[in-house]
Amino acid sequence: MLEILIYGIIIGSIWTLVSSGFSLVFGVARILNFAHGTFFVLCAYIAILLFPYLGYLSVIPAVIFTGLFGWIVYRFLVSPVRDYEVMVILITLALALLVEEILLAVFKDVSKSFPSPVSGVVFVAGVPVPMNRLLILGVAIAVTICLEYFMSRTKMGKFITATSQDPEASMLVGIDVERVYSVTMVVSAMLAGIAGILYAQIYSVNPATSLRVLIYAFAIVILGGLGSVRGSIVASYIIGFIQVAISMLFDPRWAEIAALLTIIAVLIVRPKGLFGVE
Amino acid sequence: MWWIIALAVLAIIPFVSPPSLVYLLGLTFIFVVFVVSWDLIAGYAGQINLGHTVFIGIGAYTTALLQTGKIGLPIWATILIGGLTATAFGFLIGAICLRLRGYYLALVTAILPLICIQILNVYSEIFGGYEGIPLGLDKALAKDPIAEYYIALAFMLACIVAITLLIRSPLGIKLKAIREDEELAEAIGIDVVRYKLIAFCLSAFFAGLAGGVMAHYRITVGPDLFDVPLMLTIILAAVIGGLGTIYGPIIGAFTIYLAKTYVFARIVQMLSLNVSDEIFLYILLIVVILKCPEGIFPKLRRLIA
Repeated sequence: MLEILIYGIIIGSIWTLVSSGFSLVFGVARILNFAHGTFFVLCAYIAILLFPYLGYLSVIPAVIFTGLFGWIVYRFLVSPVRDYEVMVILITLALALLVEEILLAVFKDVSKSFPSPVSGVVFVAGVPVPMNRLLILGVAIAVTICLEYFMSRTKMGKFITATSQDPEASMLVGIDVERVYSVTMVVSAMLAGIAGILYAQIYSVNPATSLRVLIYAFAIVILGGLGSVRGSIVASYIIGFIQVAISMLFDPRWAEIAALLTIIAVLIVRPKGLFGVE
Repeated sequence: MWWIIALAVLAIIPFVSPPSLVYLLGLTFIFVVFVVSWDLIAGYAGQINLGHTVFIGIGAYTTALLQTGKIGLPIWATILIGGLTATAFGFLIGAICLRLRGYYLALVTAILPLICIQILNVYSEIFGGYEGIPLGLDKALAKDPIAEYYIALAFMLACIVAITLLIRSPLGIKLKAIREDEELAEAIGIDVVRYKLIAFCLSAFFAGLAGGVMAHYRITVGPDLFDVPLMLTIILAAVIGGLGTIYGPIIGAFTIYLAKTYVFARIVQMLSLNVSDEIFLYILLIVVILKCPEGIFPKLRRLIA
């Protein structure tokens, strides 16, 4: 039981990074980004690829490139079709599959991991926990706190909040809304990228991971309520616990099916999700 | 007039073209039904269903399992059962998601195909996992490939006629009203959720039927019938043709499916690239959406007019 709790928190903290970025972009710009899992996988692949040359520093160019990629996706693919909601979904989905095919062609269908800088096992309340998982938990929580600080203390963060509440009013008071959308997309891509590197230390990534990540991201945002960052943080941990519990008690392959059943149950009881906004 | 010419051409083709093209065209006819049935819910009722392949797959696997199960029903009976199973499933999904406005339907339905593939793999002793289920030659639509071609053609025509009649009926007009303005439709007394659900079930029914016909046409079913690339191909065909017009998605389906299986496959072969021909499809989709988000044929028609 305690085991499920501890491992669930660790997985949940990775999902927090994935889903808060996804939720942020939807909440601020009303963009449903089906390429969100692509940021996750791409960043992990770049970090793994550069590791032989740069060591653990490879994380930095990987995250920066992923942010840049997020900006390119917004500027050249999403922004021109923003008025057509369906087209935003289609173009990001097409991009996700395109990147998957390219990664498949370049790296083949093999799973890759990112080596962890720490090793060994510590006992937390009698449960053996590998050091690298604790490191992941620490990094994920630190990044979440940075995000909270960015959103509530910096000027850009306040612009983002203002735009999410009322884009027109924000424009009237002189906020460059287009720039806010770009920044949101970059932040969201970098969060997903960091999550990808953390994930690749415990598990492994392969080109098809991007769609699997998308299942979890969707499940979490539906559970937490579309557009609510706080809701998605809570929902990330719930999904994390469910995933770990199912993997330990039944079969890891059931984890995604259980996630789906959870969101269907929630949608029947609370159609707007746990913390949904209109 | 155009219809008659197109039909005449399609009727003559088996006598003048190579067997491989005839086979491909048969697949294309069934693909047209996938696209038109998706357009019924997306283009007419305005609901973005990203899990249409779930209905196709359920239809195909239902008839495949019934046929391999030695029950002894004729092929068309099990295809019909497949269509009805898909409808029941569509009713369940629709009843849960169609009450919700906005993006929830798209998100939930986007997950479904991936979950279905997962289930196929978990229970691979029943569903055959990645390999799928092969059906014997005796389970084909017809013994003769040319007869199969005409059966597929007739199936497509029957479905197109049925869907056109539905759209021209009072039901279709109510659906269009819902698409244009849900609140206004509700205000003039249309039970929005009920009609969306009816459209969703009809769309699922035709997709399930087409899935079943596909299973017996190519005498095998596999996870590819559920998978996201097929979904995206369907959407691309409908989008290129223009959503919510019957003829648009039909033209789009022919263009895209033949381009994908005939042209792109050859380009990949010719350049001896080690990639899937779907890469071209995705690039094409991105370019099309950027250049004309409202569809190619509607745009062409406007330019001509």
